[in-house]
Amino acid sequence: MLLADLFYPVNPLYLEFSVVLLGLALLVVEAFVPGCSKKALALIGVTGLLLILLATWLPWQPLDPSMASAHFYTWDALALFFKRFMIVMTILTMLMSLPFVPSIERSIPGEKSGSGVGEFFILPIFACASLMWLVSAVNFIMLFVSLECLSIVLYVAITYFRNDSKSLEAGTKYLILSALATGFLVYGIAWIFGTTGTMSINELSKAIAGLPLSSLTPLLFGIGLILVAFCFKIGAVPFQFWLPDVYQGAPTPITAFLSVASKAGGFVILLRLLEQLYTIPLLAKKMSVIVLALAVMTLLFGNLAAMAQSNMKRLLAYSSIAHTGYLLMAVVSIGAPLMGMAIQCYLAAYLLMTSLAFLVLLIVSQKLSNDELYSFQGLHQRSPFLACAMTIAMASLAGLPLTIGFIGKLFVFEVALQQRHYGLVVIGSISVVAGLYYYLKVVRAMYWQQPSEGAYPIVVSKKIGCLIGALAGGIVVLGIYPAPLFFLFK
Amino acid sequence: MQLTLFWIFSLLMILFALGVVSLRSPISCALSLVGSFLALAALFVTLDAFFIGIIQVLVAAGAVMVLFLFIIMLLNLQAEERRPVKLSAMVGAGAIIFCFIKLLAEVIAASPLLSRPIPLLQETATNDIAMIGTTLFRSFNLPFQIIGVLLLVATVGVVLLSRRTLK
Repeated sequence: MLLADLFYPVNPLYLEFSVVLLGLALLVVEAFVPGCSKKALALIGVTGLLLILLATWLPWQPLDPSMASAHFYTWDALALFFKRFMIVMTILTMLMSLPFVPSIERSIPGEKSGSGVGEFFILPIFACASLMWLVSAVNFIMLFVSLECLSIVLYVAITYFRNDSKSLEAGTKYLILSALATGFLVYGIAWIFGTTGTMSINELSKAIAGLPLSSLTPLLFGIGLILVAFCFKIGAVPFQFWLPDVYQGAPTPITAFLSVASKAGGFVILLRLLEQLYTIPLLAKKMSVIVLALAVMTLLFGNLAAMAQSNMKRLLAYSSIAHTGYLLMAVVSIGAPLMGMAIQCYLAAYLLMTSLAFLVLLIVSQKLSNDELYSFQGLHQRSPFLACAMTIAMASLAGLPLTIGFIGKLFVFEVALQQRHYGLVVIGSISVVAGLYYYLKVVRAMYWQQPSEGAYPIVVSKKIGCLIGALAGGIVVLGIYPAPLFFLFK
Repeated sequence: MQLTLFWIFSLLMILFALGVVSLRSPISCALSLVGSFLALAALFVTLDAFFIGIIQVLVAAGAVMVLFLFIIMLLNLQAEERRPVKLSAMVGAGAIIFCFIKLLAEVIAASPLLSRPIPLLQETATNDIAMIGTTLFRSFNLPFQIIGVLLLVATVGVVLLSRRTLK
């Protein structure tokens, strides 16, 4: 009884703070324990995050509404799912960084070799905490603060290889464009606050409903500015220019994190905002036109531009734009009963397949120290295992049946059909076909082309092999039997 | 009176901000930024937000910008070379800025905020420090904590990125 009293109505804010504490503890250990192995550090971090992931299933209670923090922080099913999502992605990023250690050691200037490796594992933990705050944010201030916290981690992580001009270029581009997007966000928030007088996202529809019709113009202006900022974050056309360069220059595990976690965070906020705006019929009409246009542009641009890419990371960057397009297809259909599930399912699938693709890319490119498509040539002779895993990832990204990517696309198209967006479905189908071309281009390089001169067999260590096997297995098993996935959404 | 001051200081602020973007020498840019911050602080003071105004002068214009100037001088940065201006880029940027300002003007003209009388502030701002303190630590405690994490991460990042090269 006493124990239950102590633990039962637990404040869910402890979740994020335990993530921050884990990061702090690792920082302290890294700094003050001499001769501490970086791998041990990473493993402590992963174990800690796993424990926190398990702790999300504890019976947390929503915050007491009388608490001041309850105005900022919500504890609903959407937030809970995406908190787990972020923790899983952070764990994957950290595990992915382990085979990446030689590259980090090579690229980081330091007085002694190996310095600066520890922080590479610690930074994603802080990014994870800010994303966990972000998906719970129901107030513009909270949104802004957690987004900035995330951005600062990402600036540092992207520029991590300071001696590499590509990483520097990526970091600078991301810094400037992200700061510009933040400027749009804050200006938009100011306009919305000015018209509605509320900072709360949850009470937005109530506040808008009480406004005179003439206030609609400034309100729409504010919403437009915020949309610009979020389109930048999720990489929707026409705000996608930064994406290929940043993805190419950033260290590969960070690229994977950026591509999955940061995008998912943007979508959660977009959903929360649009759900409020769609309750006002006048706004709903305007919003759906805008989101529809964004979805069409993103789908077409991402898929068509990806076809011409010969660099693997850039190809995955354009593919990431294309996937933003599919997700926007689901966002257009707000109001369909399965919409939330479609987005969650798609993002879960996206997490598995993108992580797998980046993990294989990381191992292959590390051996040849370049990430061009031709380094995949004849991979099937050099490492049948990696080639097979990459084929599964590509098949899933393309949305072929028997993979989880197919389930995700099925849901998205189903939701769009329910809301009678037939034109969008046609464009979506065209982009799926275009997608097949460039994903299968990778498969063709691996199986039908001869390895380039000097390419030798790649040996995958057992642990990494297990990780790759688990991801590939997850893609296939959940693709055939997706029921466990739906269990997660409840 | 207040309105006149508002226009004077806003114009000053915009002028200095333009200076930050268009001047070539890094030191003039930084000094223009200081000027812009000072004008902003003056705006806060005309709004009776004395504390924020003073903090703006002390922290943003004083501490941060002085540090900035030191760094610029230490690095001995030369004025940017005058590169030939690309016509297409200028036209594009001009068009975007023109569209944005036009849109903004239309929104402001259409907005009822101008015609609506704005109620005066309820509390007198005599004790605005206490007010800011309670707001920050009570109602806005959670975002405040997150800012703490943000600053920590920024510190770690600066240490990481400024590490000396092994050669």
